[in-house]
Amino acid sequence: MRLFRLTTATLFRRKSWVICAFAVGVLPFLLQQISTGTENPALLKPAIAQATWAMALLSAVFWGFYTAAKQGESNARSGVGEYFMTTGVSPTRQLFEIWLSIFTFLAPLPLIAAGVCVFAASPSMPDERSMWIATNLQYAVLYLLVMAPLVAVAAAIASRFGGICGFLTSGGLALYGLYGVGYLRYLGDLQGNPVLKWLWAFSPHYHFADPTERLRYKLGAIAWDKFPLLLAYFGGILLVYAALSRLIFRARATA
Amino acid sequence: MNPQSPTLKLRAGLTIGYGTPLATAPEDIVLNGGTHFLIARNGRGKTTLLRTLAKTLKQVEGAFEAEGKMQYLPEDLRFDPEITAGGIFKSLLPASRLKAANELADRVELDLHKPYGKLSTGNRRKTHLIVAEHSVKEACGNILLLDEPFSGLDAYAREIFENIWHQSTEAVLRLVSCHPDYDSMGMPSAIMIEGKGIRHTTAAGQTWSQLKHQLN
Repeated sequence: MRLFRLTTATLFRRKSWVICAFAVGVLPFLLQQISTGTENPALLKPAIAQATWAMALLSAVFWGFYTAAKQGESNARSGVGEYFMTTGVSPTRQLFEIWLSIFTFLAPLPLIAAGVCVFAASPSMPDERSMWIATNLQYAVLYLLVMAPLVAVAAAIASRFGGICGFLTSGGLALYGLYGVGYLRYLGDLQGNPVLKWLWAFSPHYHFADPTERLRYKLGAIAWDKFPLLLAYFGGILLVYAALSRLIFRARATA
Repeated sequence: MNPQSPTLKLRAGLTIGYGTPLATAPEDIVLNGGTHFLIARNGRGKTTLLRTLAKTLKQVEGAFEAEGKMQYLPEDLRFDPEITAGGIFKSLLPASRLKAANELADRVELDLHKPYGKLSTGNRRKTHLIVAEHSVKEACGNILLLDEPFSGLDAYAREIFENIWHQSTEAVLRLVSCHPDYDSMGMPSAIMIEGKGIRHTTAAGQTWSQLKHQLN
């Protein structure tokens, strides 16, 4: 796990992860001060919940994917990947160790977000409170399941095509899956256009992993009998992206 | 032969190059534990040969065998600019070798607390060499392929590393590509790439001064 330790030490030393921790753990409390929540106290808690998860998503995209792309590119272009390859660390293992290192920093974010929501934005009614905890836990699990493969995609594409490509591809996929797919449905006549229908069906529907609306309007947790289906769906995407990432990843930039 | 002794066998006909042939070994070359130098003029294939032996580049033709734990230190290796040399050692070296690595860093005047990006070229080389030397596993044969480890290194530090190599056990095979800057540098075993041929020359008192005129 030498590459994991090297990458982790580098990221820790770089300290940009502090911004993510601040954005998720502190910023929601500051943002509520400039929101309409100050005029209507009933909106304060939903505002904190929405801001916390929005910050967690933005941190994953702008810090997680950017860092993954940077590490993937530098591993291939700096000779580090080649060095590790000659010591017997295969490209598959290198991708895994880089991914694991970045994920080590990313994984606490949904836990912090869930913690903020449970401890600072929880409804006062006991029934609503238990539902609130369940929703946040579901959110945390889905967040990890969605972000994990996209980190690998960013590192893999960056190792072959450069950091900008890696970051834009993974960031684009995340934003498209969260918001673009929904617009696609409204923009086009899906039933009448087989191409659009096919595109919609094969798109990553990350909006299923975004229960912000459930938190904001207290709609309750995702039904527990439906939740495994979501896990299976995003688990499937994870497997496809993991396989694609391995195919694309390379440990050395030049042939 | 000691079962822990590393070996590199370049079979006759081994041809290196990036798609097109660059150089060929006309006869078998066998290297065992110890330090061997790789010398050639610019662009003749030193790095290509090292990459081929490290198996990160496919040979054009022929075969070779490598027995031992491999490490190839590319000439253009660079770590992340933010991490310190001390951080690199902590991440890459086993705990049992860390003290020795830090002591060597002290001897060659490498600042362990300075970020890698702020180190001079020579000090970066020291970092790489210390990592490679202290990643060696005593229990098995080791092969270190070092590409231009002396470039940018001052004479004082180079001498220290050369002494370490002289005192090293037979469990480590070092193949070192270099352009020495002093004529009296001893090269009792040298792989030379002359024109299109790869050949091995050995002689106890052989120096760079005697060999450099044979390069073309």
